[in-house]
Amino acid sequence: MSSKDDEYDYLFKVVLIGDSGVGKSNLLSRFTRNEFNLESKSTIGVEFATRSIQVDGKTIKAQIWDTAGQERYRAITAAYYRGAVGALLVYDIAKHLTYENVERWLRELRDHADQNIVIMLVGNKSDLRHLRAVLTEEAKAFAERNGLSFIETSALDSTNVDMAFQNILTEIYRIVSQKQIRDPPEGDVIRPQNVEPIDVKPTMNSDGVRKQCCQ
Amino acid sequence: MESEHHEKSSFWKKNVKSVAGRPSPKRDAKDVRKAPGSTSFQDFQASVSDAWDLDDDEFCVISGLENTKISKKVSQSAALNVLNSHRNTTESESSLDKKSSKKQNIVGLESIKTSRIPGPGRPKPILRINTEQESVENKLERFQTLLESSTDLHELSGLSWSGIPAKVRGITWRLLSGYLPMNIERRNEVLERKRQDYWSLVEKYYYTEHDETNRDIQHQINIDVPRMNPSIPLFQQKTVQIMFERILFIWSIRHPASGYVQGINDLVTPFYIVFLQEFLKNDEPFEKCFVDQLTVEQRKIVEADSFWCLSKFLDSIQDNYVFAQIGIQKKVLQLEELIKRVDETLHKHLKEHNVSYLQFSFRWLNNLLTRELPLRCTIRLWDTYLAENDCFATFQLYVCAAFLLYWKEQLMQQQDFQGLLLLLQNLPTQSWTSSQISLMVAEAYKLKVIFADAPNHLLSNNSGDS
Repeated sequence: MSSKDDEYDYLFKVVLIGDSGVGKSNLLSRFTRNEFNLESKSTIGVEFATRSIQVDGKTIKAQIWDTAGQERYRAITAAYYRGAVGALLVYDIAKHLTYENVERWLRELRDHADQNIVIMLVGNKSDLRHLRAVLTEEAKAFAERNGLSFIETSALDSTNVDMAFQNILTEIYRIVSQKQIRDPPEGDVIRPQNVEPIDVKPTMNSDGVRKQCCQ
Repeated sequence: MESEHHEKSSFWKKNVKSVAGRPSPKRDAKDVRKAPGSTSFQDFQASVSDAWDLDDDEFCVISGLENTKISKKVSQSAALNVLNSHRNTTESESSLDKKSSKKQNIVGLESIKTSRIPGPGRPKPILRINTEQESVENKLERFQTLLESSTDLHELSGLSWSGIPAKVRGITWRLLSGYLPMNIERRNEVLERKRQDYWSLVEKYYYTEHDETNRDIQHQINIDVPRMNPSIPLFQQKTVQIMFERILFIWSIRHPASGYVQGINDLVTPFYIVFLQEFLKNDEPFEKCFVDQLTVEQRKIVEADSFWCLSKFLDSIQDNYVFAQIGIQKKVLQLEELIKRVDETLHKHLKEHNVSYLQFSFRWLNNLLTRELPLRCTIRLWDTYLAENDCFATFQLYVCAAFLLYWKEQLMQQQDFQGLLLLLQNLPTQSWTSSQISLMVAEAYKLKVIFADAPNHLLSNNSGDS
């Protein structure tokens, strides 16, 4: 529809979820802008960024929505799960509570997201070795039991950040391209062709009917 | 408490000698130290002169009068009365009378407006915007005169709307937010009691065992406070962080329907800075000040007053922070309706590229634009917000609309969803000063005037077309 958006083959919407302070925003800024802030402001509602990567010679554009971690924002953030084909569920390897809450976040996704959404469990802050509170094996086993892929990252020293996004986008791509062979592309949340961004539609109708000005 | 309190109260004490309503002698004004960062009137005028010229003001005055719906007979006699009483009693306003009869007339009109019954949603007189053209000193004088008497809240709001001089901002904010009573005799007593109240709340709730809900709240606050303003050294000081944590926690347990919601920490900041500045030397920038250099009593005052003013301030927008944040959701829809009506081109452009208003305006409304503006601008914006008193919740919607419209040109240049959203999330306001804020609130006021008396403008489409 517009010049810039024409340059990709696939557009995937991905959400970043998880408890407050686990480093979601920094994962996003590291991946999209290669930036990191030791103290970055809390996310209010939802924030957006984007980056394109190559998989099998195809350009995949990731539209990533970073959500606020606080429970109060769920009503707002849940609206953004719609149309998402991937989710990075982030916890902090140095804070066990953020790992315990992963189950709650999975429930959240089951309630509000598409059932075929690809979920990756991400243990962030892997640079905090001496403070580790969640064992890699434990999280890995949990991910396997729940059919999630798993990776540990550090937004601070960049470890595995690109890899995490690359992996989930590739996984989505594989599913989409296989699906494309099986059945023709239409009527699914995952849109395999050059289409406009998948996006939360406003609840109001916008047919442009204007009321007469009464002053 | 003794020494600081003395210093504090002496600020107001000088009023005690004067009779309520009687203007203070000129020399009082001379005693006061020069406002930090004050520029010459010429500089100031040059920066805003393109926005308002005299003709505009006169037009505004007339259109304002039309809105009052007072019969001509009544208004004429009222005007005469007020003019006469003004000539006799109010010396301070005569300082405005540089242009003799013309100005006299304006002063008279202003008085009619302040004396009329303010109906709900009724636009306030535009004339106050005119005060932007006063010299900084002149304005400060008018403030001081007002503050030294048991002044009328409407008058003070009117004067504050276009910006409050830094030197009197603290006391004016306390009055506007309703924390400090207008009655001058009661002020010191109330302040003392309220400050004590706050500290007993802290004793009772902060330093005791928390139940699970409160532990969650405390946990969230502890995560958010250290990362509030990463680029300002002041906020990295442990003492400052603990003060914020206490303010937010006490506010939270007193408002269980919402509790602390991320972003409310940003709303404490303007109050905190303004009250902190009252204890800083004139040219000391707050960004780098060392809070531990204040006495314990001074810090206690800053903290307690920030708490009470925040509480008053948030009272009218509590539904922004309750479950599902309905207040914000409602305002997002209203913002969309408003833009659709005032600028269809922009609205269509956003829609065409699948941008929904929730995606960018949620943060504007949740944080009252604090995330979009530099701190100095937020403080100036707060002057107007506080001057709006109870109407602030509605007015904020118009401010957001004006803010969006301000960027129209740049937004129209963006040709895809990504470009639009990235721009909307990172609007380049870094170089903004108070003059941009003044323009923005003036625009917001214009929108409000157009729409406030025609509430149907804000109804959604399904409520019937005309």
